Amino acid sequence: MKRAVMKLVEFSVNRPRLVILLTLILTVFFALQFPRIKIDTDPENMLRKDEPVRIFHDKVKKDFGIKELIVLGIVRDDGIFHRDTLERIKTLTAGILKIKGVIADDVVSLSVTNNVVAKDGTLYVRPPLVEVPGTEKGIERLKKEVLDNPLFKDRLVSSDGKGAAIYIPIESKDIAHEVGKKIKALYEKEKGPEKYYLAGLPIAEDTFGYEMFLQMGLFAPMAGLLLMVVLFVIFRRISLTIPPMILAMLAVIWTMGAMIGLGYTVHIMSSMIPVFLMPIAICDSVHILSDFHEKLPRLRDRKMAILQVYEELIKPMFFTSATTAVGFSTLALADIPPVKVFGLFVASGVMAAWFLSMTFIPAALMVFKERKPISIKDEGSRLLGRLGRFSLARSKTVVVIGTVLLVVAVYRVTLLSVNDNPVKWFKKDDPIRVADRVLNKVIGGTYISYLVIEGEKDGDIKRPDVMDYIAGLQRYLKGVPIVGKTTSVADVVKRINYVLHDQDRQYEVLPQNKVSIGQYIFLFLMSSSPDELDNFVDYEFRKANIWVQLKSGDNRDITAVVKDVENYMKKSPPPEGIKVQWSGLPYLNIVWQHLMVVGMLKATLGSWWIIFMLLIVQFRSFWWGVMAMLPLGLSVLFSYGLIGFGGKDYDMPIAVCSTLALGLGVDFAIHFTQRFREKFKETGDLQATMEWTMGGEPALAIFRNAVVVGLGFLPMVFATLGPYVTVGLFFGSLSFFAGVTTLIFLPALIGTFRRLLLKQA
Amino acid sequence: MRYLIAFLIILIPIDAFALSAKDIMEKSQAAFLYPGKDFSARVDMKLISKGGKERIRELKMLRKNLGKPGGNQKYFMYFFRPADVKGMTFMVYKYPGRDDDRWLFIPALNMVRRIAARDKASSFVGSDFTYEDVSGRDIGDDTHELLKEDVLDGKDCYVIKSTPKKGDVNYSYKTSWIDKESFLPLKEEYFDMRGELYRVFTADEIQTIKGFPTITKRTMKNLQSGHRTEVTLT
Repeated sequence: MKRAVMKLVEFSVNRPRLVILLTLILTVFFALQFPRIKIDTDPENMLRKDEPVRIFHDKVKKDFGIKELIVLGIVRDDGIFHRDTLERIKTLTAGILKIKGVIADDVVSLSVTNNVVAKDGTLYVRPPLVEVPGTEKGIERLKKEVLDNPLFKDRLVSSDGKGAAIYIPIESKDIAHEVGKKIKALYEKEKGPEKYYLAGLPIAEDTFGYEMFLQMGLFAPMAGLLLMVVLFVIFRRISLTIPPMILAMLAVIWTMGAMIGLGYTVHIMSSMIPVFLMPIAICDSVHILSDFHEKLPRLRDRKMAILQVYEELIKPMFFTSATTAVGFSTLALADIPPVKVFGLFVASGVMAAWFLSMTFIPAALMVFKERKPISIKDEGSRLLGRLGRFSLARSKTVVVIGTVLLVVAVYRVTLLSVNDNPVKWFKKDDPIRVADRVLNKVIGGTYISYLVIEGEKDGDIKRPDVMDYIAGLQRYLKGVPIVGKTTSVADVVKRINYVLHDQDRQYEVLPQNKVSIGQYIFLFLMSSSPDELDNFVDYEFRKANIWVQLKSGDNRDITAVVKDVENYMKKSPPPEGIKVQWSGLPYLNIVWQHLMVVGMLKATLGSWWIIFMLLIVQFRSFWWGVMAMLPLGLSVLFSYGLIGFGGKDYDMPIAVCSTLALGLGVDFAIHFTQRFREKFKETGDLQATMEWTMGGEPALAIFRNAVVVGLGFLPMVFATLGPYVTVGLFFGSLSFFAGVTTLIFLPALIGTFRRLLLKQA
Repeated sequence: MRYLIAFLIILIPIDAFALSAKDIMEKSQAAFLYPGKDFSARVDMKLISKGGKERIRELKMLRKNLGKPGGNQKYFMYFFRPADVKGMTFMVYKYPGRDDDRWLFIPALNMVRRIAARDKASSFVGSDFTYEDVSGRDIGDDTHELLKEDVLDGKDCYVIKSTPKKGDVNYSYKTSWIDKESFLPLKEEYFDMRGELYRVFTADEIQTIKGFPTITKRTMKNLQSGHRTEVTLT
């Protein structure tokens, strides 16, 4: 194996121009796949198409004609019941109806949604805001009418009259951002005292997708640029900076090209591949260049220096790459399609980077020569050497301090709570977050979930006991803090009963016979458009749908509501043959995020075991395997536990990060232990070996690697999307801790457990 | 002077002697909605959702004309199905130029309620048809334009574009295919405010009943919601 790879390196050194040309041809081939890119920003695709909740969700959407909803909130501090504001609501609604992609017939707004009122024995079926009333009295009447109807109050107008909402169904989720922009253009033309807010999960999700690609385009090159600067500061030669940068780019182009070419869509997960791949891709090069940088001045022969470098590094480089690739490919075991794709392609990207490190890098080193010869400077090495001696001398103290820190970190990690909310992927002051906050205070809630009541026979929903149960569920839900508003067919029946009895409060109840219920519903259907009730009952009256508007989209809160309803149903079970089931985007989110977070955790732990086994085989020693795994485990725990993640929720981006840890954390330790052991075999002397490892090139290369990765991703901290900030922070702290634990902890551990370890070395 | 008049007469296009678009629409309305003095039929109305699910309404419909075509009409509808609404009755007095009077009888409460008519463009008993589709729209409310002559299902048709003068309806214009022989509308296309086609009317079956060509089966399909309503006279 080693010989075969060495042949490859020799070939590249001898025929550098040919190798570079071949690399370029391959790259052009992969780059040509890019125009076929298909983007998928729908988080629903995190679930397999045949996942039961997804099938049910699609069915609910079909049964009840439900479309994805955007919510436009209009807030005025002294109340919306003013002539000019009402006029604006009317104009805006009319404008929204004209936007392409909006399902005009289903828009819910004061000026288009019918209200049923009774006056002097006549039923009036018309939107409350057909005409803006000309007098104060008229406006007062309008306010009273709207707030008197439970189907409007807290749904279309806040109970304090300060806010109004327009619910805008759209044809598909992936036009939410586009439609949102057009709605924004409409209200920005209005110059009044009102404030406008756009909310709703589709808009958050689609806008996130849109911003994601914008930021990818911005931060991937920025990160690359900073990596380049750091490499230049370390090596002080353009000739040593350019090849690893090109390699990182090539690895990204090859991987993304292959993915697109094979017909995979670029999803939220896979869009992160470039960011993840770049630092991992250049790791090998940093070690190669460090060693080359040190060897060239001594040997003064380029070819010989390169070959010697590879002779020394080929084994650890292959192992670090292979363990990383294996680690990522175990993600394929997770039951989440985008995670599978992500894992497999990062894994192949890592191997592509390794291959390029064996071919392109030696070739590039032969072709790009520095103008001024490299001189040796070893200030860094002296410092690291001293650190190594210290750790070895005070090994027990270091181990004790490390253990204490570990306990603290583990404690902090237990404080992590698994939670997520796509709206929170945006920063606090992002308009989407602001709208989410304001609207959920003002109206009934922007997270719309569905509680589906299903009977056995057609017409079951019209049964008085079923109607009563629906109303009971709604009464119960009203008491749950994050539930803002519920609406159902029972509300409609009550309303009709009320208006048919001249708006007499004592008739705002459900009639107790099926015929009356049937006739009331028929009356409503007769006086409205064909699909007005569709959102609440299906065609056969076998199923009903309670709209549950939630004020929070946090998984934790939604899970709590789901539990509450379960408990309620235990205490008061539904009537014979009636099933109750949740659906809707917020519910779907908790399902896929649970799968994602838990699945990812399982996959990550699984791949740790596999890497651990690999290391034991590689070192042919259990304890050296433990040694190499320790810095990885410690640095992940430290990163989660110590760097502010303690107060943060364990969400999707963090789950993604823990897989990244595999790629980076273990590499430093492999380089360290591999080279330490080889030297120890040679010398048989602990002090001298440590001096060589810590005071020489190996430790310096590890240190440089940590700095490159840590600093290279700092710009991500300034991203406007939460997950990118998280990835940036995590990269930084992880490589810092992995570097620290490898360079301080490993020497101390080797010192403390020397008997156990050196016997096996 | 005499020559001048003769010259001017020559200048008037021959077409002026043919039917104007407005005349065609008036004749069509008379043939479609006002044939005879009265009308009685058992009606099957099927509301069909996008997914193919059906709601069935079975009713008896009576109509009485109170004057010339385009004038006042009375409609009476008695529902047989769905079973739980049997006996519900709906009555409409239609007046051109002003709001209809509508009443509903609710058997469960043994009560008649007047229903205020907001606009004639609202849904007719919850179907895809509007009141106007059922009882006609005032010819004078639209400007009519003869677009072309066409052949539809082997029948020669006038194709007429009718644009509402006021924004009192929820479409921007409609195009009708009027059979040159019977003057029945064979097809109508409604375009929404965005200028997109959104509702299509088709006359699916025409029979001659008591000497009057009558549309015995018609469909109105909403292209945006995918919902459609089929009305059959039995």
